[in-house]
Amino acid sequence: MNGHVKKMHFQQFLETAAKLLYFLLLLAVDSKRSVAASRNHQCGKDLQMTLSLTKLVRKETAALTKEYIASQGEGFQQGFCKASVSGIPDPNISGLEPSERIASIYTQLQAFLSHLKHVQEQQGNLQPLKSPLLVDLSNVMERSKMLALRVKAFYSRLFPNLPLPEPAGGPTTLPPPQTIFQQKVYGCVVLTTYKKFLMNISICRERTTLKSKVCGTRRPKKCDDLL
Amino acid sequence: MVCERALQLFGLACVASVLQAGYENNNHVVIAPQDPVIEIGTNFTATCVIIDTAEVTADDLYWKLSQTVIPKELYTKINSSALNVTVLITNEKPEWLFCHSKKSSHYISMNNGRFIHGIWLKKSYRPESPKNLSCEALQEGKLISTTISCKWEAVGRHTEDAPRTYTAFLKMYIKDETLNVSTPKNSVQVNVGLYPNYFPLEFWVQSHTLLGTLESEHLIKEANCFVKTNPPLDVRAISEAGFPTSLLVNWTNPIDESYVKLKYKIRFCPIGSQIWSYVPPEDTINPTKPFRLQVLQPYTVYVIQVAAKPVGTKDEPDCGYWSNWSSNKTARTPEDRPSSPPDLWKTVDSNSHDVQLLCKDPEFANGNITAFNMRMKYSKNGNLEQERISVNADRGSNQKMASLLKKISLEGKEFVNVCVSAVNSAGKSPETCLAIKRNPNDREPTVKEINIWPRNGQLFVEWKHNSTCVFEYVIEWVGNGEMDWQRENKTTRQTAIKGALERFVCYKVSVYPIYRKDKGIGKPASKEAFLEQGAPLNGPSVKSESEYDHVILTWDETPQHLRRGFITNYTIFYENEEVIKSVTVPANTTSYKLESLMGNTHYDVWIQASTIAGSTNGSRHSFVTQKYAPRMVVGIVVGVSFGFLFLVLLAFLFCIYKKDVIKENLWPQIPNPSESTIGNWSPDYPLKAETPKENCVSGVYVLDEGMCEVKHGFEEDKTSLSLKKDKYLSEEHSSGIGGSSCMSSPRQSVSDSDEGADMADTTASTVQYSSVVASSGYKGQTPIEQPQHSIFSRSESTQPLLDSEENPDMLVQEGGRAFHSPFTRSAENQETADPGSFKQMEVDQQDFCPIDEDTEWTPSDSQSANVEPGSVSSYRPQLGGYRPQ
Repeated sequence: MNGHVKKMHFQQFLETAAKLLYFLLLLAVDSKRSVAASRNHQCGKDLQMTLSLTKLVRKETAALTKEYIASQGEGFQQGFCKASVSGIPDPNISGLEPSERIASIYTQLQAFLSHLKHVQEQQGNLQPLKSPLLVDLSNVMERSKMLALRVKAFYSRLFPNLPLPEPAGGPTTLPPPQTIFQQKVYGCVVLTTYKKFLMNISICRERTTLKSKVCGTRRPKKCDDLL
Repeated sequence: MVCERALQLFGLACVASVLQAGYENNNHVVIAPQDPVIEIGTNFTATCVIIDTAEVTADDLYWKLSQTVIPKELYTKINSSALNVTVLITNEKPEWLFCHSKKSSHYISMNNGRFIHGIWLKKSYRPESPKNLSCEALQEGKLISTTISCKWEAVGRHTEDAPRTYTAFLKMYIKDETLNVSTPKNSVQVNVGLYPNYFPLEFWVQSHTLLGTLESEHLIKEANCFVKTNPPLDVRAISEAGFPTSLLVNWTNPIDESYVKLKYKIRFCPIGSQIWSYVPPEDTINPTKPFRLQVLQPYTVYVIQVAAKPVGTKDEPDCGYWSNWSSNKTARTPEDRPSSPPDLWKTVDSNSHDVQLLCKDPEFANGNITAFNMRMKYSKNGNLEQERISVNADRGSNQKMASLLKKISLEGKEFVNVCVSAVNSAGKSPETCLAIKRNPNDREPTVKEINIWPRNGQLFVEWKHNSTCVFEYVIEWVGNGEMDWQRENKTTRQTAIKGALERFVCYKVSVYPIYRKDKGIGKPASKEAFLEQGAPLNGPSVKSESEYDHVILTWDETPQHLRRGFITNYTIFYENEEVIKSVTVPANTTSYKLESLMGNTHYDVWIQASTIAGSTNGSRHSFVTQKYAPRMVVGIVVGVSFGFLFLVLLAFLFCIYKKDVIKENLWPQIPNPSESTIGNWSPDYPLKAETPKENCVSGVYVLDEGMCEVKHGFEEDKTSLSLKKDKYLSEEHSSGIGGSSCMSSPRQSVSDSDEGADMADTTASTVQYSSVVASSGYKGQTPIEQPQHSIFSRSESTQPLLDSEENPDMLVQEGGRAFHSPFTRSAENQETADPGSFKQMEVDQQDFCPIDEDTEWTPSDSQSANVEPGSVSSYRPQLGGYRPQ
């Protein structure tokens, strides 16, 4: 075997190695791209489900509010629901970053759930046992829990290394003992405020921001595309 | 191999040590394994181990499966204290497997139970993974039901004794909770509480048998993808004026879209049709409501239905289940002007050139036809007649029926050109024309080889026609008094009649070519056909004209409406008391001559009319064949006549050939008294000469008697036979002399009642004989001297006649002794015998005295010689037999 032949073998080896390296690079790039696409796709799906559920809870809360007002007696007017009651969570979402806003949604949901539970207890004393209002109130609470779980899951998936912050003011403060009318007004204000909060989650700007910033997808042409 | 063996021994040692501990004080034989579960269809191996005894060895052991001893071929001896058996488990029933000892000894007999051991074999099939899992959550009110129904396909087998069970799992991600339900069935219902919309659900099933557990694949879907909603509510269809080909469809969602986002599907069809048209699915995934149905037929009632299904995602495009279809919603599209021409046709009365113009509404009338505009022209340069014929717009379902436009006459005209257009509220249709000629065009080839056959409840028509000038064909059918038609394009040579045809009705189907030039009607080809044939409703009634050995049967053709098919033949059945016979005749026959019948026989006859679908008998008709055939009567009459003639001829010939005999019998020769020799008989007898005067005096009276005597004399001559032989002869010999012979006095006749008596006695006792004899009456006369006087003597003697009297010929032959009778038939005697002679005879008679009883008549020698001696005594004197004269 002379030197020329050895040189030929070496060149062939180099060519093969180069091809192999090129192939591995392509594989790595494609894998990274597909993983990212997959992650974005799952994120978008989770976001869509979360927003759809939010819409559902909002719809149920709106229907519940109407039913609540109707169930409080003839003298109870819708205007009472606009009264200012202390201790009720702010319907606006706080924070600038998506993680902060999602965390805010979650903590506010938890706060509203505590108030909804209090309203349920109060209405349990005011309404007949098998009142549709109680059933619907229970359904809204159940659905709100689901929403909270879904938001938590969404947050955990997006920010696995950022634990959800506890509420700033510690546990939710419930109102002191009230008269029946105060209870009725309190319940109505809670429901109305909760509906506003849910509206704020569902507004187009919030949704598009989450969609684009969190899941990294293009902005949808219409807000309805998210739902 | 060695390794396997070592392992087996090691295992056996372990089993034995364990068993020894457990059964130390019990069994000397123990089976391992103790509580096996065996897969059906596999081999099972058990080992029987001898423990703590030397009474038996492995050679003394045997196996029993239930009550059956297992053959030794299936045994495997491990060592002197262990014996294996391997059996194939095929039976599904659990059973016992025993290990026995066959050796007998005192110890074994005393401890028999310790030398038997059995195990209970449980059998089962291996579990298999359930397939085709599916879950369904139905809408309940405004929400989705809290109960999810899931089902799966059971795979594999199980036994009654070891049933398979399932455990269904439903994982709810929302609660991080897994619900499970066990069931022997292949379906389960799981309560999930508030339905977890927008959360995934995971469902799977485990299948359990005695042999283990196997899990199915997991069904993971978003919860809404298990939903089946109610059908859409309040479906509405709205027609818009000015849009005759579309309808707006709207509906209410069965459930709020915040729970489940739905897609829809819409289907529609013209009312009465079973063929649905579906709106393309891509158009109804996210439908804008109201949805517009397009490309519909104007003025047509449509039935519309809508169904809903959850919208899927990119990952799960097939999501949820279609709801049931909504209830029917009908709506009619607005009217539009007729888009096709009306269907114009005619009927012609062949007798009077009258034409009826008929017209059907256009196929696409697109509304209610209110009138037909008609233009007619009878010649190329003739005037155009225009007419508007209004029709009832509210004909409803009769719009498919033809309307009679006009009756026209082609008398004196060659043709008429008719053009018609239909009019509705939106406008008028294109025009259709027809040229009706009095005499169809002969120049074009005619339609031929028309063929019609029924198939699948329709009549199919096929024809041949070689013409390039055809515009279209009209198929016309007439049946049951109704006429209808349909049009086919020029290339069609086979089609099905689209009208509602009735079964068992004969239709005359005609194919008319319509030529391009002027839309002229060509010569049709016609054929009759049935949609379905049946047996005739009635058989024909038969009439008969019977003869001796045949009958002519006539019947009327079965009426068309009773035939219900083409009559293939008639079968004539006729029966007498013995046998039924039949004759089949063609369908066009209405009379038949049945031959070879028996005369004077009662027959029943009936006729069976047959089609290919069956036969029907007509009414029975009876007739009786005639007793005699006409030629037989003629034969009998002719035969009798000939027989009579033959007899007459025979008699005539007999008379001719036996003339002499007859003559002799009828006119016997009377001996001539003049030739008598009686004068020589007895000189003692006084000869008394009678005066002519006396003769004349008494002659008047005697003449009658004498005539009688003459008559009798003839009879005597005719039957001048022996009295001994014939009574009749004896009667003939009885004489009427004495005035009584002509009176037929019984005293002077032989009694007929004496037929059985002895002839001799009879004559002796009852018969009086009188004979004309030339005896004593002529005594003393001299025949020579008084030849002109007939001498007639009468004898009252009972003596039989003399031979000379019986046989006058003999007398004649006797020469001089014979006498001549004045009554001889010789011409001479007849002429010479004057009345005076008769008078003389009467005189003699008056003087004739009866012979006394004791008078001895002495015959002449010759006479006495003829008298038999015995005969004299046989006749008694008959005194009392005669009146005194």
